[in-house]
Amino acid sequence: MLATYLQFWRINVLTMLEYRANFVMWFVFTLFYHGIALAALYVTMRQFPSMNGWDIRQMFFLYALWMAAHEFHNAFFWQVVSVPDYVREGRFDRFLVRPRDTLFQVLTVPQQTMPDGFVAAIVTLAFATAVAHVRIDWIYGLFVPAIVLGGALIDLGISLTIATISFWFVRIDTLRWVAMSLEQDFTRYPISIYGRGVQLVLAFVLPFAFMNYFPAAYLLNKGDVGLHLDPRVGLLTPAIGLAWLAVAYAFWRFGLRHYQGTGS
Amino acid sequence: MEFARKAFAREATYRMEVVTNVGSVVLRVYLLRCLWTALYAENAAPLNLPLHGMITYATIALLMSLILEVDGTRLIREKIREGGIATDLMKPISVPLYFFADGIGQTLLQALLVIPSLLLALLIVHIDVPPAPTLAVFALSFLIGYGVNFFVNFLMNSVAFWTLESFAVQLVVRWASDLLSGQIIPLTFFPGVFGRLVFALPFAAIYSTPLLIYVGIIPRTAWALSLAVQVLWLLLFAVLSTALWRAAARRVVIQGG
Repeated sequence: MLATYLQFWRINVLTMLEYRANFVMWFVFTLFYHGIALAALYVTMRQFPSMNGWDIRQMFFLYALWMAAHEFHNAFFWQVVSVPDYVREGRFDRFLVRPRDTLFQVLTVPQQTMPDGFVAAIVTLAFATAVAHVRIDWIYGLFVPAIVLGGALIDLGISLTIATISFWFVRIDTLRWVAMSLEQDFTRYPISIYGRGVQLVLAFVLPFAFMNYFPAAYLLNKGDVGLHLDPRVGLLTPAIGLAWLAVAYAFWRFGLRHYQGTGS
Repeated sequence: MEFARKAFAREATYRMEVVTNVGSVVLRVYLLRCLWTALYAENAAPLNLPLHGMITYATIALLMSLILEVDGTRLIREKIREGGIATDLMKPISVPLYFFADGIGQTLLQALLVIPSLLLALLIVHIDVPPAPTLAVFALSFLIGYGVNFFVNFLMNSVAFWTLESFAVQLVVRWASDLLSGQIIPLTFFPGVFGRLVFALPFAAIYSTPLLIYVGIIPRTAWALSLAVQVLWLLLFAVLSTALWRAAARRVVIQGG
């Protein structure tokens, strides 16, 4: 399996080398996307310097943490987002008749993505860490990579759930788009600005708050993270990511058993 | 029976899209209320825009985006990619006009979504309603903004005549325009030189002008001037689009489709 996975990345790199202009264009595109988001944050925070006690540097760190997790997801799990397209076009059925795990096969469909956005995110995160004066100690060194990975798993759980829903509802482009944009909206600000009900949902139902808010609040020494929780919950992100992915994976398996195809 | 089941499935997928769309609007209205309330609670309010004005601004901008984000000219790109544009050009119709009509059709469908969204939004936030003359000028300004937006999209989609990667170009322009048109943040918040620059760009004519008229930041005395600037952009983009279309149509003929 590992050999297959390495082979998959070899193909990706070869494709990238073949279509260099395309690769550069999409990279610039990714940078532009995050640049616009950060510019909007800058303009807002310049007019209003404090958001529930978070200043612009801390907001930048909050964004960078989400960006790292999200770009990790985009680099390594992006094919899951394409599953609804495979289902609609009838290309999904071939995964079911081959003697390998279906999800593994989905994750190794050759594609034109490289971890370039993730590299940009790491640079951004390092920069934000310095700007926000986050203390770099063994907790940072040990937990931040795990938190980024955990956050990416939370993202993967969402993509997997949407992919599974597409087994029943073929046209879910709107849902996919809405879920992506809502994730961006609800991870951009400290969840303390929302009402208690929404905070609970973001913490325990769709655990976006674990992608960046709880870890950032802990690393920035925010005393109160809300919901009467200990600030150290921010270190639980990897566990939450695994648990959430396990639930999504169970749903995916359930969906596979009921998969009927579109007949196209 | 099988047909009925199919029809039901079709209806259900469609209904799911409507529910998702309206649900997302409600969540975003909730988010913008929380966001601006938190920001205004801790910081000095900007001079001419109190909290209720800001929430009104952001909610109306969101509802406008339901209509303005429908890309009526997307069809151009698809037809160019699939080659259908060649037969369209042979038909005895004005092709740009055909796309415009098609776009209006899609917009009207989308506009139906605005009504439930607006009603639900009113449960979450209170929206200021300006006096009738202001509303009328807002409507006029929105209409001109719609035209500018149409031609910007038209130009972006026509880029597909030259490069097949026009989708990326278009997304980048769309993102830039979200920020620079005042859809996310009022352009009055932009600092210094940037503040003057964003008002000089055509994007301001799409969202900013109608919205600033609505919340009263553009006073009665400046209405005429603001509308005139919008009309200028509209004319400029219309002329550009016509020129580009002529060049593009010739290109198709030369290539033989």
